Amino acid sequence: MAKVAFVAHCLLNQNARTAGGARCPGVYSPLVDELRAQGWELAQMPCPELTFTGLNRFWAVREQYDTLAFRRHCRRIAEGVAGAVAAHLERGDEVVLVGVDGSPSMGIRVTSSDPLRGGRPQWPDEATDLAPGRGILIEELLAALDARGAPAPRATGVTYVLPEHDPDTERAAFASFLEAR
Amino acid sequence: MDADERGFRVALVADEFVNPQPGGLDVLAVLAGDDWGAIQLPPAWYPDDVAGPLLDQVAEHVEEFERHDYDLVRVGDRAGLAQALGALGVGAPVAITPQTEDELRAFLAAHATVRSSRPV
Repeated sequence: MAKVAFVAHCLLNQNARTAGGARCPGVYSPLVDELRAQGWELAQMPCPELTFTGLNRFWAVREQYDTLAFRRHCRRIAEGVAGAVAAHLERGDEVVLVGVDGSPSMGIRVTSSDPLRGGRPQWPDEATDLAPGRGILIEELLAALDARGAPAPRATGVTYVLPEHDPDTERAAFASFLEAR
Repeated sequence: MDADERGFRVALVADEFVNPQPGGLDVLAVLAGDDWGAIQLPPAWYPDDVAGPLLDQVAEHVEEFERHDYDLVRVGDRAGLAQALGALGVGAPVAITPQTEDELRAFLAAHATVRSSRPV
């Protein structure tokens, strides 16, 4: 039985991040190294924002993405990822999800929210638009797994989007999450 | 805008190089050290109906990076990738199946654009 972590696309490819959001050139090594050290295999999920609004997209909150078209786009991606998760579960693998807290699409515990955001792009204090909740792709993935009768995997989110982010704290919390059963 | 540290370099990487056997070539470590990001290709054992939708997603990502002139290479291969890319009119990136870290590093260096400004 393998241990498989389905990780947000940007953990392996920071080039997919919104302009201004890449924390390193490519692979976000601290958490990849932690996964490797604990014997987890990696399975990279697609980035729904990259393939919907592209590389030159503006920063956006969850409400701006929560449209019929984006939901449809996320369902298509989620079906593909759910198929892969199910394939691993069928052979007895342990599966976890690793999202990005603060993301409108990939948040696990924290997403971004501002019902009034719109119009000429501007980005006020980012600490004000965080809210408890999941991102849209994560919601659609959990729904797709539920529709297949598959259990919801344990899930956590990296914190590099959050204003209180501290790399050492993030890595320690991530290590504890991976060790827990 | 915050400082953005992206490298503008993306490698499509076969699963066996993302999740190598013990003692195998650690491609992710080389990519990280040389400022490349990775797009993982589905494992070879996935059935076609599982791998197909994931390869379609890989192709859509590649199309967007190519459109913006990011450097693109492929490390290893995956059946069905060429068809998925071809369906979008995207050519297959230059490729290597490396045996050593040095071989991979030389390949990456040969295909990395030295940039004076951000691609558009």
